[in-house]
Formats: sequence, C-alpha cells, structure tokens
Amino acid sequence: MLSSPSVSHGLVVAAILALGTGVLASPIPAAAQDTREEVIAAAQAEKEKTPPPATESKAEHISELVGGVLTPKSHSFFPYFDSVYSGGGFTLGAGYGWLYGDHSNAAIRGLYTIKNYKLIEAVTTSSQHLDGKLTIGALVGWRDAPQAAFYGLGMDTVLNDRANFDLSEGYGDVTAALRPTDWTLLAGSVGVEGYTIKSGKGEAPSIEEAYTPATAPGLGTNPTYIHSQATAAIDWRTSPGYSRKGGYYGVTLHDYSNTNGAYDFNRLDATLIQHVPVLRETWVLSFRGDMKTTLGDDLVPYFLLPSLGSGSTLRAYHSWRFRDRHSLVMSGEFRWIPSRLGMDMAIFYDAGKVAGRREDLNFVGLEHDWGVGMRLHGPAQTPLRIEVSRGSEGWHLTFSGAAAF
Amino acid sequence: MIRANSRRRFAALVVVLAMAAFPTFAIRGAGPKFYRDDPLPREPETVNASKVAPQDVDLIPDLLLHMFTKRGDPAPNVRAKDINTIDEVPDSSWFTNRIYAHDMTVEEVVDGQIVDAPPAPGRWTFIRPKSAGFSPGFTAKDSHGVIWFLTFDPNGYPQASSAAVAVATRLFWALGYNQVESFITRIDPKQVDIAPEATISPRPGKRRAYRRDDLEAVLRLAARDADGTYRAVAGRLVPGKVVGPFKYYGSRRDDPNDLVPHEHRRSLRALKVFGAWTNLVDMKAGNTLDTVVEENGRSIVRHYLQDVGSTFGTGANGPRDWDEGYEYLWEPDSMLKRLWSFGFALSPWQTVPYQELPEVGRFEGDEFNPEAWVPRVPTPALVRARADDTFWAALRVTAFSDEKIRAAAHAGAFSDPAAEKLLGDVLIKRRDAIGRAYLAKVTPLTQFAFDGAALTFRNVATDVVKLPPPDGGYSAEWFAFDNATGESRSLGKSDSTSLTVQAPSGVTVGEGGYLKVAVAARDSHHHDWVPVDVYFRRTGGSWTLVGLERLP
Repeated sequence: MLSSPSVSHGLVVAAILALGTGVLASPIPAAAQDTREEVIAAAQAEKEKTPPPATESKAEHISELVGGVLTPKSHSFFPYFDSVYSGGGFTLGAGYGWLYGDHSNAAIRGLYTIKNYKLIEAVTTSSQHLDGKLTIGALVGWRDAPQAAFYGLGMDTVLNDRANFDLSEGYGDVTAALRPTDWTLLAGSVGVEGYTIKSGKGEAPSIEEAYTPATAPGLGTNPTYIHSQATAAIDWRTSPGYSRKGGYYGVTLHDYSNTNGAYDFNRLDATLIQHVPVLRETWVLSFRGDMKTTLGDDLVPYFLLPSLGSGSTLRAYHSWRFRDRHSLVMSGEFRWIPSRLGMDMAIFYDAGKVAGRREDLNFVGLEHDWGVGMRLHGPAQTPLRIEVSRGSEGWHLTFSGAAAF
Repeated sequence: MIRANSRRRFAALVVVLAMAAFPTFAIRGAGPKFYRDDPLPREPETVNASKVAPQDVDLIPDLLLHMFTKRGDPAPNVRAKDINTIDEVPDSSWFTNRIYAHDMTVEEVVDGQIVDAPPAPGRWTFIRPKSAGFSPGFTAKDSHGVIWFLTFDPNGYPQASSAAVAVATRLFWALGYNQVESFITRIDPKQVDIAPEATISPRPGKRRAYRRDDLEAVLRLAARDADGTYRAVAGRLVPGKVVGPFKYYGSRRDDPNDLVPHEHRRSLRALKVFGAWTNLVDMKAGNTLDTVVEENGRSIVRHYLQDVGSTFGTGANGPRDWDEGYEYLWEPDSMLKRLWSFGFALSPWQTVPYQELPEVGRFEGDEFNPEAWVPRVPTPALVRARADDTFWAALRVTAFSDEKIRAAAHAGAFSDPAAEKLLGDVLIKRRDAIGRAYLAKVTPLTQFAFDGAALTFRNVATDVVKLPPPDGGYSAEWFAFDNATGESRSLGKSDSTSLTVQAPSGVTVGEGGYLKVAVAARDSHHHDWVPVDVYFRRTGGSWTLVGLERLP
C-alpha cells in the first residue's frame, strides 16, 4: 500500500503536519529525504500543490455576522432602545440611519409598546464644528400615548385616583451644544410642540370623567408651544449615558409660549449629579438631586407639570404618580461592578416630593423607595437597566434603555 | 475543480490516517529520530510565497472569537512544533535568536533594530491618515522622501505612548521578534505639508481630499508641547508587500511555508512570558503584520509584532485600566464572585500599589505575579504555553542585565529622570519575578556538553535565581541510542553533586552512533522535575549535542 509514491509522499506531509511533537524535531517515517530540511521542503511543496481547504467554523461565521452588525456603515438598520412616553411598558424599537458629511448622521426611528404607545422620529446630528466644540442637531417627530396617567395634584393622592388620557404630540426642534472646555457645557434649543389630548384608553376612567379644569389645570386645552430652553452646566462625566466618575451640575431654563391661547409658562430645572469612585471603581457612590420649579404664577397644563414616579425618579412608583408645579427628587446609589466589560449592579434609594408652592419644596413629607438593579452597559451607553424597587405602594419592576442618572 | 477537491479530500484522508497511525510509528520507530542536518539552525522556507494574498482580521470578530470560544488545536499539552531537536527555536521569518542565544552588548540592545538613519530634518509631507488603532497619528514622508508612521502621545499624557513604543520595540527586537524600526522625533505642524493626492474617508464609502482641518483634528487629540510642537514616535515603513495580520492560531493556507499551527509556535507561546514582563496586554491580530519579502531569491512571508506600544502602564489614550494584565475582558468566574459579594471579593488589581507617573502609567513589580498575568483576551498561542515553553522564554528575559534594561528605558527619552528610573526599576523587578516563577518549573539544566568522559551542564535555577543546588544531587542514566529504531540500551548510571557527571566506564558508541543521557536533578522541594533527555552524536571523534527533550 505504501509503495505508491503519492501515498508515501502524502504520509510524509501528514506526519509533518500532524505529529504531536515538533515539526522541526519529529521522528519522520521512512522517506526519500536524507535531511530534515528536505523533509520539510517536501511538505511545503505539497502544501503549495494542495493547499488546505478554506473553512469557516460556526463560531467564526457568527462572530463575523456580529462584527458586521457592530461595524459602522454608511447606511444601516439599527435596534433602538428608548421610551415613547413614561408608562408605556415593554418597548421595541428600530431605526434606519445613515451618515453624511464628515461628522453628521441622520436617522428615522420608531418605537412601539405593549400598551400601544407609538413614536416615530427623524433626527439629524452634526458634530465636530468649531474645533470639535460644537454639536448641532434637529428633530421632528410624533408620539401617541393613549394611557398616560394622571392621579391628581400633590402628594396626597391615591392609586385609585388614576385617570387616563391619550396624549398625542407632534414636535420638532433644533439644538446646539457647545463645550468651550472639556468640562463646561452650554446648550440651547428652540422647537415646536403641538399637543392633542383625547379621551384616555385602558382600565382607568378617562380624565374628563374624573377631573375638572380646577383639579386638572388645562383640561380640555390643546396647546401648541414654542419651547425654548437654555442650559449651562459643568459636566465632567465620561458620558451622560454611562459614567463611573465625574459630575454634572447644571441649570436649564424653559420657556413655553403657547401659540394658540393661554398657558404660557417658564420653568427652571436644576440638576446635580456626582459619581464618586471608590477603590479603583470597585464601587461607585452615585448621587443625584433634581429640582424642577415653575416660575411665576402662570398656569401649567396638567400633562406638562413636573412629575415624579417612573424608572428614573421615584422608581417604585407608577409613572406620573405625583404631579404639581414643583418637584424635588434625590437619589443615592451604591454601585458595584461585576464586569468592567459591561455589567453594573446597584442598590439605590430615592426620596422626593411634588408641591404646589415652591416654599413647600422641602424635606418634609417625602416619598421614599429603595431597590436593587442590574445594568448592562457599554463605554458610553446603558442599553438595558432592570430594577426591582419597593415603596409605600408596593413592589415595582423597571425595564429601561437608559441610565437612571 | 473536481480534481482539486479530490486531491484535498485525499490529503485530508492521509492526514487522518497518519494521525491514527502515529503511535505505531512512535513505537516501532519507523524513521530516524535525527537527520544528519539536525539540529536545524534555521527553519526552512523553501517555496516561493509570492502568491500570498492580503487578508484582514476585523477587530470585533477577533475579540469575540477569543473571548467566547477556544481557537486552534483542541489537544491539550502539545509540545511546541517550531522547535528543533535540541528544544530551541531556530531562526525564521518569525523569530531570530538574539539575547541569551548570543552575547548582546548594551549597544546592540539599544541600537540593534536600527538599520538606517532617523527621520531627516526639515519639512514633512502628510500622505495618508492612520488606519488602525486609537492613538492619534498619520503617515508622512520626511524631507528625504522616506515614509514613516507617526504616532503621537495622547493629550494629557505627554511622552507616555511614544516612550513605551521606543522602549518596547527595543526589548522585543532583542528578544528575537521582527520589529518596526522606531525613532522618537518631533513634529512642528507648521512644517507639515499635505500631499495633493492625500485623501481621507470620513465615513464608509466616501473619500475626499485631505484638508488642513483634518490634520488639526488629529493633533487636537495629541499632547502638545509649550513650543507648539508635538513629540511623536516615527516607525519606518517595513519592506515588502503588506499582506495583513497573522492570527495566533492556525496557519495561513496560502503560505506554503507556514506549516506549524501558530498556537504551537513556541516563539508565540513565549509571549505569555514576554507579554507579562512588559505588560503587552493588547495581543490582537491587528497588532501583527505579515509582509512578503524577497530573501535568497524567493518570496517569503515575514511576520512582525507591531504596535508594541500598548505596554508597561500606558495604553493608546492614557493609563491602563486597573484590571488590565490581571483579568481577561470577559471572565465569568470573577464576575460572579464580585456579583454575589457586592464587590467585596477583591482581586489583586484592586489593591496593588503603584508609583504612578503620567509618563509610565500603572506598572509595578513588587506584587507582580507572572503566572497570573493575562492579556485582554485569551490568546490561543499563550494559553497553550507549557512549562518548557515558559522556561525557554524566561531564559531570555533573565538574560537582560540591569544595565541593558536601563539602557532600553533610556531610549524612551523621558524628560523626567524619575520616569526612566521607575520604568527600569519595574522591569528589573518583573524580570526577577519571571526567573523565580519559571526557571524552576522544569529541571533547570541547560548547556549540556559531553567530551567522551564527562557530561557538563549549567543549573540556571542556582545561577540566575539563586536557588540552592538540588539537595539530592544530580544523576545520569546512560544509553546507547539506535537512531534508526529509536531503541535505547542502558550503559549504566552515575551520580554527582556538581555540574559535572562522569560517564560510567565502558560508555562508548561507534562513529556516527548516538548516546542518550537522562539527566535528573533530585531536589526534595521539586518532586515534579523529570529528567532531561539529551542526545549526543559521535562525529570525527567528538560529541555533538543533537537532541534535548525537557518534557515529553
């Protein structure tokens, strides 16, 4: 059998390629060659003549597919993680984006929730202007939240006070964000927000059945606002979407001018966030204080009042659980980092209140909650946050596609 | 096509049959153990490799594969396959024996990689943007038209990255790897012109002319000195046709000379030790480079470790992450341990103290554990390193004297002498730790010689890491070895308490015959040491070492 030249030659090659000891040191089956160099040369000649077949394992194929999805392309579909409107429940989203210019992108994206909340947006962003300091953008969109909740004003409401309304909003704005230095932020935007409020869907009564304009300011109105806002902040977090160090101390002034009637108002938001890494970011102590205060005595429609209760404020309470002209929420998190590649855990505590008068915005009568959460994150984003929390109204499970703060 | 497929199937069948039959070959010794040209001083590359085509290895699939799958040969405990019969790695297009194999001077360590002049003074001409990696940089021609890859220090960390490249390039060249010839230089943006044909691809599918503001955008990411200039490391364009990176497993199917699966190359397995010494954590395919070059009238593929700047305590954009070198990016056991303990189950990286200078970053030698060191992802060649591979590598690391290490650190051209001293100090401490960790993992005997009456050797555990001599002394069992059949016939035993063991009387073989000696160091603290088998061939009345097997 071994007399066939091709077979014996093949065996030499096979031995070279397959033996368990060194190719350059292997005992070689009897062959025509006198030197090891000749044996190896024969094997190399054989490989040239008959190269091994190109193969791709299943793992290689899958990793190529994943890599293809994650590699930036000039045009691509993408999964979209966000919220239509707080309280919409489990949400799926997708978009189609494309790049243009040097540092500009545009996308059309949409979201749909298990409660039939819908959103569609077209957005564009252009960065790296003014030596990399300026980012500008524009957005137009429409959303519909048919089961938005209203529980009345103040902190003394109960769950059974819930009424629903169907909020439809068409909106568009242009924004600019300037970073004069790495740690300062000046931002502004001007936009149009047109609201159409209809009878609510779902198990709770519709809002017009349970409330009046006296108990739900602006009930029956459908304002269209020119909404202008300006922000000044010190921001040295690594990213707003995920950070283990740094802080954000900022104020934002909002001006809502109604183009078709009353209900003009101004609001001031003040936010303080501080992340304190401990022992090389083994742990992170994160703190947040956020105050929203309506300026002057202007009436604010109930659906635009500052509110608490959702996955990022009082986390154990239903979305929009507390509304009034002023709000205050404070949070503290003890975070630990099982995997620096992409997993954080947190034990958190929230406290907050809403108030009709600014002087009542104090530490008396706060609602509290606590909980534990897991976050899957990237270097700059938190695409999945799952939290279980407990407050005076029971347990609450939160799924979110954004950082808590 | 059908014929080609049939040939491939036939070749595959032959490989399978040969693998199944290998134990038979080994037992009956079907072929000679040693050829007359053993041990090979150079790995033969006999076939023209001019048809090797460029290949890409994308970063994300490469990372995913290494993080979540086991690449390469699944067989455990496979002896390296690029070694010759005396357990050494011969020179090749992968590796050149330098330190330890030869007496290198300090000047050779510092300047040995330099083959031509540094960048010529005068104006630079930008020719293309940097296409890989995260550090700021671009490709440019100097005033003499020589092409260089310029890489800058990241903003906020002057000198860190450029010094790391300058120092690591010298260390890895001295260790034996092909390196990109590198110089520290200084770039004045006012002295940089943009070639009219230079282009940039700002997004996939789009290409346009390169502009001045593109250059300024790159330089905004770089550390700028007070005089408006930028320190950079200039890497000379390597000769030959670039055909992409190599992988740390498998072999290039289009390179007929590439017979050894890369995970079984000792020259790559040794990076477990060399990487630990220098903290070369970014061991991805993208940091390697293959080029087709002409050598002795034929084309061969030359293999480079490039971008060895992710070393010591600094990365492309600043100090290393705390856990780099200590944990893989994806390490489920550590993750679960921290998850359930609320983070209180601490790992060493969380408490190890550093003397942190911005030019050096996070790099320490006092608590360094070479055996626990890991790169960012499991690298197939490294995870297959055996004790004989790490011993071989440790011999080379410990061959760097303090003077050579400090001279290499000086090549970093630090403006702060404390940074140069710190880098040198840490490298020396880590070198010593590597010696302690690996030189006593196997029977630590080297440099065997036989003069017909006595066998002599060196004990590197006593010489280098100052372990006491083995308390049970040395013993040797002598055999006449039949090279054709592989059979051994005992000739007797002898013992010694010194590094010389006398042969028993009557030990002799004829001209062209072989002598095998199983040499053991008996030490009560190292019961796992197995005898080293050494083989001598009698030629012209003298004895030549032709075989050495440290581990089965």
